[in-house]
Amino acid sequence: MKVYFLKRFLELIPIFFAISIIIFVIMNSMPGDPLLQMRMQNPRAMANDPQRMKELREYYRLDDPLPLKYFTWLKSVITGDLGYSSMYKTPVIDLIASRLPNTLILTITAWLIGLAVALPIGILSAVKKYSFFDYTTTVFAFIGISLPSFWFALIAIIIFSVNLKWLPVSGMATYGVTGFWNVFADRLRYLILPAAVLGLVQVASWVRYIRTSLLEVLDQDYVRTAYAKGVPDRKVIIKHALKNAMIPIITIIALDIPYFFGGALIIETVFSWPGMGRLMYQAVISSDYNLAISCLMFLAIITLISNLIADLLYVLVDPRIRMGRKGA
Amino acid sequence: MPKLFYRKKLEELEEKARPIHINSYWQLVWVKFRSHKLAMFGAVVLIIVVAFTIFGPLFVKVGYEDMDFSSLFKPPLSPGHPLGTDELGHDVLVRIMYGGRISLFVGLASSIITTLVGTLIGLLSGFYGGLIDRLLMRFVDVMLSIPMFPILLTLTLVFGSGIMNIILVLTVFGWMGVARLVRGLVLSIRETEYVMSARAMGVRSARIILRHVLPNVIPIVIVSATLNMSYAILSESSLSYLGLGIQPPMPSWGNMLQKAMNYILGTATGANPWWLTFFPGFFIFLTVLSVNFLGDGLRDALDPKFVSES
Repeated sequence: MKVYFLKRFLELIPIFFAISIIIFVIMNSMPGDPLLQMRMQNPRAMANDPQRMKELREYYRLDDPLPLKYFTWLKSVITGDLGYSSMYKTPVIDLIASRLPNTLILTITAWLIGLAVALPIGILSAVKKYSFFDYTTTVFAFIGISLPSFWFALIAIIIFSVNLKWLPVSGMATYGVTGFWNVFADRLRYLILPAAVLGLVQVASWVRYIRTSLLEVLDQDYVRTAYAKGVPDRKVIIKHALKNAMIPIITIIALDIPYFFGGALIIETVFSWPGMGRLMYQAVISSDYNLAISCLMFLAIITLISNLIADLLYVLVDPRIRMGRKGA
Repeated sequence: MPKLFYRKKLEELEEKARPIHINSYWQLVWVKFRSHKLAMFGAVVLIIVVAFTIFGPLFVKVGYEDMDFSSLFKPPLSPGHPLGTDELGHDVLVRIMYGGRISLFVGLASSIITTLVGTLIGLLSGFYGGLIDRLLMRFVDVMLSIPMFPILLTLTLVFGSGIMNIILVLTVFGWMGVARLVRGLVLSIRETEYVMSARAMGVRSARIILRHVLPNVIPIVIVSATLNMSYAILSESSLSYLGLGIQPPMPSWGNMLQKAMNYILGTATGANPWWLTFFPGFFIFLTVLSVNFLGDGLRDALDPKFVSES
C-alpha cells in the first residue's frame, strides 16, 4: 500500500515539471517588455535612463537564455517566491494566501450542496429505472450540462436578489456587522447563492454517474441473491448495492475538484466573491502576468493533487484493487 | 367500442412490427436517429437557430450597430422590437441574430479543427504505438492536468481576443480528449483479424489506416465532435462574458450578457431590463442543449454494434 502511494506520488514529479515548462513558455510569450511595463506604471521613479534600464535588465536577468531563465524561475517558485503582483504591489504568495480560504469556503459548500442534491436523485433514478422520474431526470441532466453557469448565476441574482430581495447581490460580507452569530448569519446569506449555483451546475453530470454506477451494481449476482433471499429492498440498495456503487462515484467526485475551481472563476466574478478565481480574472484583465501565471500554476497543482487523491481513494475503498496490487 | 379500440391497437402494432428494409449502414443510422425523440428535437431546434441567425438579418433593415435613441430599454413585444432594446437602442433580436453567427461559427470551426487534430494524433499514436505513442500520451496527460478554463483565460492574454484567436485557443487546448478516445479505439481495431489479414497481404500502413481503421473510428469521432461543439460554444460565451472573447461592437451571445450585467440591478429610471440578460443566455442554452441532444441521438444511432447484429 505504502509503496503504491509512493509510486503514484513520484509519478507526479515529471508531470509537474512538464506543466511548469508549458506554463513558463506561455509566460514568456506574453507580449510586452516587463521593464517597459514597470516604467509605465511608475514613470516618476523610473526615468528613461538607458544606463539604469541596462542595470535593471541585468538585475532581473531578462537577457538570460531561455533554459537558464526557466531554472531561475523554477527555483524561486519552489522556494515559495512567486514574485510581485504589478496590480496590488504585494507579493503574489500573500495575495493567494489571503484569497484561498474564501475560495475554499465557496467550493466546499458548493461541493456539499451538489452532493446533497445529486445523491438522492441519482439513487432514486437508478432504482426506478425507466420510470417517469428517471426520464425526467435524464432530460433535466441534459438541461443541467447545457446551462451556461454565468447565465444561471445572473438569472438567480435577478430572481432572488433583485426581485425577491431575499439575498444580497454580490460580495462576501456586510460592513459593520458585529457579534459572532450575526456575522455568521450575514456570511451565510452571502454564501448561499454563489455556492448553490456552483454546486447545482455540477449536479447534472453527477446524477448521471451515480445512476450508471448504481445500475451496474444492481445487475450483479449478489444483489439478485440478496433480493431472492427476501432481504427488504431498502436494505439491498443501501447495504449491498450502494456500498459498491460508491467506489467509482467517489473517484469521479474527487476528480471533479479542479472543475470547481475553474467554475469558481466564473461564479466568483459574477458574484464579486473575493476568492482565487476572481483574483485570477482581475490579473488577466489588468495584464498582471506574474499573478495570472502563479494562479494558473497553483490551480494546476491542485488538479494534480486531486487526481492523486482520487487514485488513492479508489484504492482505499476497493479491496479488490488492493489485493490485486499486493499479489502482483 | 372496445373491439374497435383493440383493432386500432392491433393495427398500430402491426405497423410497428412491419419490417423495414435497410440497405446500408447510414440508412440504419437514420432510422435509429429518427426514433430518438430528444435527438430529433435537438436537430429541428438547431436547424431553426442556424437558419434564424443566417437568414434572419436579411429580412431586417437595422444592423447590429444601429442605435435608436428614441427607444432605449424598450421591453419585449414593443412595436418594432420583438425582444426589446438595450441602453443604446440596439434591437436585441437583431443583435442575437448577428451574435449567433459568431457563436455558432466559433463553435463549429473549433469543433471541426479540434476533432481533426485529435483524430490525427489519436490515429498516429494508436496505430504506430511504441515511442511515438508513449510520448504523445504523456503529453496528453500533462495537457489534461492543466485546468482548462483558467488556461484559456491566460492564453487570451498571449494571443489576444478576437474570433480567430478564440478558435486557436480552444483548439490548442481542446484536442486531447478526442486523441485519447481515438487512440483507445485504434488500439483495439489494430488487433482485429481484418487488419491483420490486410497486413499479411502487404497493404501499406497508410492504406490500412484509411481503409480499415478510419471508417471504424468515424462514428465515435462524430459524437465527440458534437460534444466538442457544445463545449466550444459554452467556452466562447464564458470568455466573451468575461470580456476576453469577442469584443464589442461586434455582438456575441456572451458579450451581450456582459453588457447586460451593468443593468442587472435596474436602470437609472428604476426599470429592470431582465430581457437583456434572459434572451442571449437563453439562446446559448437552447443551442447547446440541442447540440447535446443531437450528440446523444448520434451516439445511439451510430453505434456500430447494431450493424453487426443486423
